[in-house]
Amino acid sequence: MRTSSGAPAYPIPSHVALLHYGESELRDAVSEFLLAGLDRPSEALVCFGEPGVGERLLRYLESRVGRDLSPDYRAGRIVVGAADPDVDRQLQNVIAPLEALRASGFALVRFVGIVAWNAPDFPPPEDFLWFESKLNEVISGFPVIGLCPYDLARMPARAIVYGALETHPFVLSGGALRQNPQFMAPDRYLRERLLTLPWLQDEVRTAIQPLGGGVGIHDRHDP
Amino acid sequence: MGGEDVGREALDSGRGGIAVLDSAGNITWTDEAWTADDEGGGLPRAAIGTNLLQAYRGHEDPRAQAVANGIVAVFEGKAMYFEIEHRASRESGRSFLTSVAALRGDGAGAVVIHKVVGGRAPPNPPPPVDVRSTSTAPIRDGMERLTPREREVLELMAAGSDNRAIAAKLGIQYTTVRGHVRSVIEKVGARSRLEAVARAYRNGWVAKL
Repeated sequence: MRTSSGAPAYPIPSHVALLHYGESELRDAVSEFLLAGLDRPSEALVCFGEPGVGERLLRYLESRVGRDLSPDYRAGRIVVGAADPDVDRQLQNVIAPLEALRASGFALVRFVGIVAWNAPDFPPPEDFLWFESKLNEVISGFPVIGLCPYDLARMPARAIVYGALETHPFVLSGGALRQNPQFMAPDRYLRERLLTLPWLQDEVRTAIQPLGGGVGIHDRHDP
Repeated sequence: MGGEDVGREALDSGRGGIAVLDSAGNITWTDEAWTADDEGGGLPRAAIGTNLLQAYRGHEDPRAQAVANGIVAVFEGKAMYFEIEHRASRESGRSFLTSVAALRGDGAGAVVIHKVVGGRAPPNPPPPVDVRSTSTAPIRDGMERLTPREREVLELMAAGSDNRAIAAKLGIQYTTVRGHVRSVIEKVGARSRLEAVARAYRNGWVAKL
């Protein structure tokens, strides 16, 4: 899925998982994505992530284009949004700028949400995956391309990598945008995946072992 | 192995004391009474109607406390099954196995089986950990702790609705919904929105999707 210029041809709206390996790939892909909209006045940019991450992304963009972007920020064309440990508040933190930018008449919003796991200012992983799945419903009424970078070098669990694949209709990897056959609609994802995430199950077998006249509780690892 | 299977197996074997507990910890069914006290080396006796959790939690015998804590873990959804093996004393050499398994569905609770398993305890037992580390939160069905409004909110959370959609469906303020959601998560003992939803499905508090 490419334009005549060779850039990825993103459907609008679209929700894209950027699968990358390390910081260098992240910077290249995000720069290409955001800089493509920077010189088009009809497009707006949103930099989203843990508190402070959006600001750092904005500074990085400034270093790439070699100019001060604060006039665009003050004019509301570039928005910096923050994650929240309360997943629903985080969802509202995404919806609010999208509504505002749509009301301002922007034809397209390029949204980058830097993904984190088990960070103090980020929702727990299971809530974040619900958020990612829910975004597919949320963005359906907005002219937005949402890019969610997942650093495969840092993913702590296979369930989360699968989560990235199953909550995004499109995947960007190695510069190539592809429709994602593993994507699952939000209601199905909730039913078949979120409710069966391994760390939400409680079939823990535990034994209290014999002691001389006393007891002790120990995890028993063998099933 | 499900709780019913564990109970049936114990009944079939004809050995040991069996207690079936409701979610509040009361013995609601047993082979007669939980006549588990074996020459003073087993667990304290408990008759039908006894609140085993209260009785055992406050008991001076650490084995009784351990059983109570195992039941707590089952009721709180932290485990489906516990086994507790203990030696009555070094002198008697008798050892006992107490199984605590969850019962699911309406009136969920636990089945507790206590029986003699051997005359000698195994050598080199592992060191203990503090049995008091298990939660001492009041044991009630999670759904019982919720207000009617919180139950409505939980059902909508379980259907995948976000807070804004819940507010619209219930005709209440978004900030009010946020308060209800926080309260639901706390009352069911979850760390996250999704864990609360997963717990609600697992315990049958909401209808299956």
